[in-house]
Amino acid sequence: MDLSQAILLRNSLRNNHVIMAYNGTVSDDLMVTLADLLKERLVANDDVKRSKLIFAVFMEGVQNLIWHGKEHEENMGMILITEHNKEITIMCGNRIEKDKTQGLKDRLAQIEGADKDTIRQMYRDGMSHASEHEGPGSGLGLLEIARRATQPISYTFVDVDEHSVDFIMAATI
Amino acid sequence: MHIAATDRTPAIDLTLTPLKLVMAGESFPEDVSAFYGEVITSINQLVTNVQGKLEVEMAFVYINSSSIKAMYRIFEGIDAYRQAGNEVQVVWKAEEDDDIMQELGEDFKDRFQSLNFTVEQHG
Repeated sequence: MDLSQAILLRNSLRNNHVIMAYNGTVSDDLMVTLADLLKERLVANDDVKRSKLIFAVFMEGVQNLIWHGKEHEENMGMILITEHNKEITIMCGNRIEKDKTQGLKDRLAQIEGADKDTIRQMYRDGMSHASEHEGPGSGLGLLEIARRATQPISYTFVDVDEHSVDFIMAATI
Repeated sequence: MHIAATDRTPAIDLTLTPLKLVMAGESFPEDVSAFYGEVITSINQLVTNVQGKLEVEMAFVYINSSSIKAMYRIFEGIDAYRQAGNEVQVVWKAEEDDDIMQELGEDFKDRFQSLNFTVEQHG
């Protein structure tokens, strides 16, 4: 990248009110390091209640990247956090295998159309089945994010090639 | 059993006299099943090894979603101990103004309705 492009990138980050941006391998250590930085900033600027919501959404979003990134050969994820008009938006994205998108799409569609009480009931039902869930997750991560966000979550899938899809989701608090 | 707290795992104390389980702190271990495996085993063994009232006190600051599946199994073990005819009292403590932990306590209470389960906030 030449320096003029770096300036453009910086301007773009600034114009979009980005306060944290990461693109690359997402590890457990990285999550803890970024969470500590985020916590410091939140404690300085926010009330405790809101900080806890933001922290919970961040953790669940990044854990999704760690676990689902491992399924793909390019273990790469993107984390973007913006702050604008006193709202924090956490965006997490990664590249996933095309044949694994349908389950995720169905789940997101279910959550997208649900009100807070319904999401809470889905969460409670999910708790009872969490121990049957394969892998390190519990199947509750997306519900946790939707539950803590103050606006409905948004997401998109973009085809990369015949095998891969870029997935990104955003939650605002 | 005594497990000391870390930045990302709770302190866990299980004593037999008095019969009491106390868990407090953060819960986002790197490997949830490795961290909670021994705890779940110990809780499940109570029913064959001891009798009498079990007190449970939980005071978490943050629990990630993958820890929920371990916590659910701990509550299943506690509930099995109750089903064996023992008195059980669970107190879930949330910090004042911590809606997330307050709600999670209510969610566990809802899932284990036969347990004597109190959710309270403290300053």
